[in-house]
Amino acid sequence: MNLVYPLAHLMGGVILLCAFSMLSQRRLAAMITLYQVQALTLSAAAFWQGFAQGAGDLYLTGLITLAIKGILLPMGMRQIVQRFNMVRAVETTMPVGLSMILGVGLIGIAVLVVLPTTVSAVSLTREDLAISLSVVLLGLLVMTLRRHAIAQVIGFLSTENGLVLAATGMPGMPFVAELSVALLVLLAFLVIGVFLFRIREHFDTLDLVGIEEIERRGR
Amino acid sequence: MHLRLDALSVLFLCILLPQIVASALAERRGPVTFWVFAAAMVLTLLAGDAFTLIFGFELMSAASWLLVLRGDARPATLYAGIAMFSAACLIPAVFLPASSLAFMLVLLGAGAKAGLAPLHSWLPRAHPAPPAGVSALMSGGMVKVSLYILIRYGFIEFGAAAQPWWGSVLIVAGAASVLIGALRAMLEVELKTMLACSTVEHVGLIAVGLGIALRAKAMGNLDLASLALQGALLCAVAHGLFKPMLFLGAGAVKNATGTTSLDWLGGLMRGMPRLGMLMLVGAAGMAALPLGPGFAPEFLLLHAVIRAAGTGGILARIGFTALLAGLGLSAALALGAVVRLIGIGFLGRPRSLHAAAAEDAKRGTLAGMGLLAVLCVPVALLPGVVLGMLEPVIALLAPNSAPAPLSYAPLSLGILFALTAGAAVLGLRRFAVRGTREVAAWTGGFGSPPAWLPFGDPLTQPSATGFAEPVRRAIARGLLAPKGVDPAEAYLLLPLSKVSLRLTRVAEHIRRSTMRQRLAFVFGALVMFLLALGLGEGG
Repeated sequence: MNLVYPLAHLMGGVILLCAFSMLSQRRLAAMITLYQVQALTLSAAAFWQGFAQGAGDLYLTGLITLAIKGILLPMGMRQIVQRFNMVRAVETTMPVGLSMILGVGLIGIAVLVVLPTTVSAVSLTREDLAISLSVVLLGLLVMTLRRHAIAQVIGFLSTENGLVLAATGMPGMPFVAELSVALLVLLAFLVIGVFLFRIREHFDTLDLVGIEEIERRGR
Repeated sequence: MHLRLDALSVLFLCILLPQIVASALAERRGPVTFWVFAAAMVLTLLAGDAFTLIFGFELMSAASWLLVLRGDARPATLYAGIAMFSAACLIPAVFLPASSLAFMLVLLGAGAKAGLAPLHSWLPRAHPAPPAGVSALMSGGMVKVSLYILIRYGFIEFGAAAQPWWGSVLIVAGAASVLIGALRAMLEVELKTMLACSTVEHVGLIAVGLGIALRAKAMGNLDLASLALQGALLCAVAHGLFKPMLFLGAGAVKNATGTTSLDWLGGLMRGMPRLGMLMLVGAAGMAALPLGPGFAPEFLLLHAVIRAAGTGGILARIGFTALLAGLGLSAALALGAVVRLIGIGFLGRPRSLHAAAAEDAKRGTLAGMGLLAVLCVPVALLPGVVLGMLEPVIALLAPNSAPAPLSYAPLSLGILFALTAGAAVLGLRRFAVRGTREVAAWTGGFGSPPAWLPFGDPLTQPSATGFAEPVRRAIARGLLAPKGVDPAEAYLLLPLSKVSLRLTRVAEHIRRSTMRQRLAFVFGALVMFLLALGLGEGG
């Protein structure tokens, strides 16, 4: 029995599940753990695709993902959470149930878009694409719904995971793109980290509600 | 850039030039903008192609906007809005082929700039703002240039495609302007605002004449068309003479007393006798009194309306009869306005120290007004000669027509006069008081002073506001919006400004949105796009 596609789909499903559970998690620590699981699964998926396609550069992608997203970024974020004493910070913007309903709707949209649009392509890649588009949309939803800066960063990183998943699933995707995407994420993370420290300096909290209040009152 | 000089351009140049000279005499050392304004008007009249016409017209708008802005900033904004609206209508219209749509756009564009209802409410605000010479030129000249465009496009450029209902629209707009203009002229207290309202009225009269001519020409009744054109063009000539004169006079009054509010004037005829006499000439024209410059055109217009009432279907007949009543009402209102202007402002006793100490106007102003007054004489006393000079224009606008020479019919007039006089005598015999009766002595226009003013005071004279009060109660409540606001302002400008305010608030709300909300906008747009894509492809 050919294990290539079932395993790829399984890992894609795990990544999607992680992205979806992020919506239900209110604690930052749990979100970081979910993100770590997602990134580890992604690196495993990259390794598996590299093995299945016989493409050496996908191993490199898997290594980068494992090192940066699976280990370094979660460690950094945990440190931030520790340093700012936000272990027990709870997000209260939107009811969890409602946000999960929205998430289910987004997954539906992704399937609705991808499956009819790519009828001519190979069927198994299409489902991979639908999964990655769902992950991208769910990450954007997390960014939109969460008010906490770190939660928004996690949403952004999860979006990027979806992109990499789509890239690894496509045979013939050049490695350059992935590398640049990874670097971009790293840069964005650095920028956001600096930004967070500045916010912290000014407002003594990472909750963006303070900034929103100022924006509302400012003019 | 082509220039062209035909009979119509010559006529409007002849209307324009005396005003420019008079305004320049009054406004010595006027700003450069004034000369740009005047030159742009001349350029518009001389234009030989659509581009030159629009160029001159917009240059005129821009220059006059700057001149209004020097006087007052608030009406200048309103004026700029109207000018842009007019440009937005005119620019496509002059390049369109002759059609109803093109004519409606010209009517909207030129009508808005001429102060035709319902787009007239800017005029009583913007025209009084700049100095008197500029006001005079705006009221007497700029309005005529807009009407010139209306005439050129309605009768010459689009003449072949003309429909009778074009004329009907013009008549309705003109009738509304006449009524509202005359009514507001009767009610306004500020001298220059009142004159501007009267300009709205006269623009309406001209538009009524043009509308009748357009309708009659499209229906093939060329004699009626030429009669109505005679009335409209003669009205333009007369209005171009007496209105600048009155505006210059109002400016001189402001110079001498520091105010143009009729409530604070009075007795100016004593301090400014020469100005008062010239104002009297202009006022006679504004009221369309016989032997004044305004009488012959109004007479011709009424004549044309009566003739038009005999043509067309039952609706047209009823409409023209109602129009006749409306014109009669507004003529009476105009007369009332003039009586108020002269009686309150120039006769009686001064209501303020400034009015008492007024000295006669400067020589330049008097010379400018005098020039216009001299030119009024042939229009007033020899209208037949002026109509003879108008003949080439009418031949251009309504070819193959035979304009009737203006002649009084002494016999029928005499019979009419005899009948009226006889009825009056009979009425007096029947209803008059016989014998003697004692009444209180006439106090010379003064009310009885209150107890705390034992010796009376000039302020116990009726004021301009009080003089207009009966009209306000009897007519204005029905015709104007609540609180005496212009209906165009209350039902057109105010809702528009509310809509604009609401849109601004929405835009401001979007601009003020937080980072997360902006993210949500983009995200929502993306989702909508994907949904459309999926549904479109799937379906």
